[in-house]
Amino acid sequence: MTNTCPPDVLADISDLELVARIVVDGLVSGLHRSPFHGYSAEFSQYRHYQQGDDLKYVDWKLVARTDRVYTKQFRETTNMAAMLVVDASASMDFSGAGGAIDRGAAAAGISKFRYAVIASAALAHLLAGQGDAVGLQGGSRFLAPRAGRQHLRSVLAALSSLEARDTWAGADDVRLAAERLKRRGLLLVLSDFYDDEERTLGELRRAHRMGHEVVLFQILTRDEIELPYRRGVELTDLETGRRLAIDAGLARRSYTDAVAAFLERWRRRAAAEGFQYSLVVTDVPPQRALRNMLLARGRS
Amino acid sequence: MTLTWQNPALLFALALVTAPILIHILVQRRAQPWPFPTLRFLQPTRLASIRRHLVDDAALLAARAAILAAAVAALAGPLVITSARRQAWDRRVVRAVVIDESSTGVTPAALATSPAFRSRDFRTRSLADGIRRAVAWLESSPSARRELIVASPFPIGSITAADVGAIPQTVGIRFARAGALPPARTVDAGPVLTGDGVRAREATLDGPRTVVRETPSADPAVWPIEILNARDAQQAVDAAVAAVLSQRVPVPAAGQRARVAIVEAGRTIEGTASQVRTPWIADAIARVTRDPDLQATARRVPAGFAAARLPSPWMPIATAADGRPLAAAAEAGDRLMIASGAPAADLVTPVLLRSIARALGATPDLARAEVVPIADRWLREHERAPSPAAPPTGDASRNDDADNDRRWFWLASLALLAIESWMRRSRRGARESRAEAQRVA
Repeated sequence: MTNTCPPDVLADISDLELVARIVVDGLVSGLHRSPFHGYSAEFSQYRHYQQGDDLKYVDWKLVARTDRVYTKQFRETTNMAAMLVVDASASMDFSGAGGAIDRGAAAAGISKFRYAVIASAALAHLLAGQGDAVGLQGGSRFLAPRAGRQHLRSVLAALSSLEARDTWAGADDVRLAAERLKRRGLLLVLSDFYDDEERTLGELRRAHRMGHEVVLFQILTRDEIELPYRRGVELTDLETGRRLAIDAGLARRSYTDAVAAFLERWRRRAAAEGFQYSLVVTDVPPQRALRNMLLARGRS
Repeated sequence: MTLTWQNPALLFALALVTAPILIHILVQRRAQPWPFPTLRFLQPTRLASIRRHLVDDAALLAARAAILAAAVAALAGPLVITSARRQAWDRRVVRAVVIDESSTGVTPAALATSPAFRSRDFRTRSLADGIRRAVAWLESSPSARRELIVASPFPIGSITAADVGAIPQTVGIRFARAGALPPARTVDAGPVLTGDGVRAREATLDGPRTVVRETPSADPAVWPIEILNARDAQQAVDAAVAAVLSQRVPVPAAGQRARVAIVEAGRTIEGTASQVRTPWIADAIARVTRDPDLQATARRVPAGFAAARLPSPWMPIATAADGRPLAAAAEAGDRLMIASGAPAADLVTPVLLRSIARALGATPDLARAEVVPIADRWLREHERAPSPAAPPTGDASRNDDADNDRRWFWLASLALLAIESWMRRSRRGARESRAEAQRVA
């Protein structure tokens, strides 16, 4: 049974390292093998000696025991470098309708931004734990991918210091992150992908062509998918400040259709481009969301 | 040309003009904006739907405020006074006719010298009361010259200068002598109590002469006043009662009795008494207090009660020379209770007893039997022509809706309402067009 600490409980824990550890503990306990392959030069299998094989790979102890000549085979891998790209725009600072639909303070929920920070911290913790290099591109903060616990703490500190504001230059962040990955690496992008959809997708495509593996986490709240407001309500765009009054009852149908089309478009494009895509709703515990992503990754 | 308001108090309702503005502010305040990640998925047509409930158009707001202002002004009864309107008012007459019921066979039409815009009859047994009612009706009548006609045989006392003085100066007065007074009239003058018992009286008014005839009555003579006094004052008290009876006092009404306690001068009032609650006792106290003989005699007594202020519930009815109460009244059981600080042998005692006895008895109103008419000269002196019409005020406006300019303000309200509807429709149309254009784009 996996540990699935509720998102709002995780949101209340200020120590991001502790949160990351909680998430990762709950995450790996149910996995049969490490979600990210160890990419060191490791033994793979034996095979019968064939003419021309390098004798230094012959296992002489095995010859002595079995009177048969076997050579060792190794898988040639390297340590992986990953870049976390976190959307720190104002639209991510949304935790749900809250008081507008009289759910009460207890149902305020976790903001998309906080959810992204926690998920990023957990991923960083997971990657660093197996010796991979982790970097961060979020808001104005940039950390080049490096391995080691010291660097992990820097990444977590940088994540803690991020604030959701203004708009997200998603395309620029993706481009910078991809360019900082000096060899083939892993690009983990956590965003609602509202900003500059086409340019962002273009840069993701470019990163993929550069040989990077691209993993997208599209993070949304349940309320922005379902628009649960009652009757008349005036909404303020968190990024532009524009205000619009709507009759939520009348607007809901067309809104949910439009959001569904938007999400389907991202899912379809990601699949077409060979990205790994996960839609994450903030009322799902981060452990479960990451676990689902990693299991899907294992299957692919 | 001046503008007046028939119900100016209603102009306070102009504060209602602030209602649309307040509603606008409150609606804006109620529409608390809620943060939302993005508005890109909300269709403009849907967004516009709620906007039509908000009064966000200054011209529309002004139109609505003007509608309310015009309606309030209409309710307040605006009246533009022009010279033509004044002349129209002066051409008409509102007439009240007060007819003495004793003047049989008199018709208002016979009394009118010109057709009236409005007219009303007031038949009465008391001219003073009829005049009061007629004046009240005239004051609530529409603007016009106002005339009061009083038809009566006008016996002496039927109308006084005070009654005429109570009529507003703008109201014209005309007296019409109607009916004839009999040359002589014999009426019951009421029984009196004398030293020899009860005597019935009959008064005959014959022109300027009045003849009173007395006849012995079989009714028992009951002295209505119980007197409490010191033993040594009994002789003086008996003499006082005899003196009163010698002057003939009215036989008291059944059940109306009094008790007089004669206390020594300089003493305080003691004994049980209560607040006056019985109407006949209150009436009797008032009559005693108004007796000029009693008041004049009391003022010759040097000192009254010891206390300058009487204890409750006693009320002073006569004052001594030192300014202190000499006699006080209250209610005790079912009787009128009087305390006197005057010595029994003083002249005040018989005067007080006479005043009390008269207050307890019924006094016949011989004035109603009068056969001598008021002189024509007096009536002519108090007649006058009606003044020019004054603009209507107060209740007058409600009696004649044609006498104001309400209808114009109501029409203005309706016109503004039409404009407001047109503005609302045109703005809604424009919004929907814009929304459609955005949707298509």
